[in-house]
Amino acid sequence: METEAIPKRTTRQDEMYREAAAGHGAALERLARGYEADPERRRDLLQEIHLALWQSFAGFDGRCSIRTWVYRVAHNVATSHVIRDHRMYSRTLVGLDVLEALPTEEDRERSVDQRNALEKLLKLIQMLQPLDRQVILSYLEGLDAASIAEITGISPGNVATKIHRIKGILTRRFHEGGSHGQ
Amino acid sequence: MDNEVRNDIDITNVWKNQGMEMTEISLEGIRQKARKFETRIFWRNLREYVAGAIVVASFGYVILVSHPALIRAGCGLVIAGALYMMYMLRMKGSARTAPAELAFRTCVDFHRQELQRQRDLLRGVWSWYLLPFVPGMAIFLIGLFKNTMEQPNAPAHAGIIVAAFAISGLVCAAVFVGVGMLNQWGARQLQREIDALEELEKESR
Repeated sequence: METEAIPKRTTRQDEMYREAAAGHGAALERLARGYEADPERRRDLLQEIHLALWQSFAGFDGRCSIRTWVYRVAHNVATSHVIRDHRMYSRTLVGLDVLEALPTEEDRERSVDQRNALEKLLKLIQMLQPLDRQVILSYLEGLDAASIAEITGISPGNVATKIHRIKGILTRRFHEGGSHGQ
Repeated sequence: MDNEVRNDIDITNVWKNQGMEMTEISLEGIRQKARKFETRIFWRNLREYVAGAIVVASFGYVILVSHPALIRAGCGLVIAGALYMMYMLRMKGSARTAPAELAFRTCVDFHRQELQRQRDLLRGVWSWYLLPFVPGMAIFLIGLFKNTMEQPNAPAHAGIIVAAFAISGLVCAAVFVGVGMLNQWGARQLQREIDALEELEKESR
């Protein structure tokens, strides 16, 4: 990203950023979790998202809602991060067909508390390809198909189909993993 | 009972109710990050210039101390190739996405363009990364070979000299071809992903 001149005074850009960060900060934190497993790198990614968001508001022209703006910036920065990682560390991302057919990992933990459940869910999400990840993370944040379509650029029909499929696979694999070791 | 608990776990609830410590991010912290980013770019550029200066100085020194015209011409061409490659690196490296563009473009559009940019970089490796060095290296090796063969005791070891230069030439060629082919393979992989995204965009129109 290009770095623009950094003004010292509080500007409209600063105010817009503050509002966006206050309203969507938790969602951005969760989004970063969906893209990066390593805590250090996740912190970097989150900072990168916030930096891009702040810089982007210098060019805000109201062509879409703040929410769509925030999610597009966040997902696009995170997607660049995934592509970079994919190239540098040869991390394998899988399509839905592959994810569906992958053998379930042995899970010896009998107790499925909230923390274990979350870790399992994150592990599955972090295997997904960028578009599938964008769709399911937006869905999990409570966005409807039309909003997700506006963010991602695919039709609401395609979004609905993808949500149905990804959710089905995740839920099934989520429970399959948990039922091992009994 | 355990199964019942599991089946009751809904992924949306798990997601929304995750407990987490919020990372503290302040506006001042963001400004600092922007300044750090600028510093990093400065050092990266400086590294590129220093690497370029080393290539120019090394081959320039050979031009100054070496008499055979072919060797000097080869060194001159290697320097020209290195300068051209550095110029291209700067041009391609500076073609970054403006921050607001991240919001103007949908995720699929952005993802596709990122992949296309990388594909073009890989496809172009031949023309801007490898090819600029080929004439210089070839003439340099030929000049070195000619110069070696003109030495008084060369005829006695002609076979060894020819073999050594032939192997050097082949190794250079193999590295060039190998790097080029690897990049072309990478570009083809990316093209498959681009095709899938384009197909999805078509469906969504």
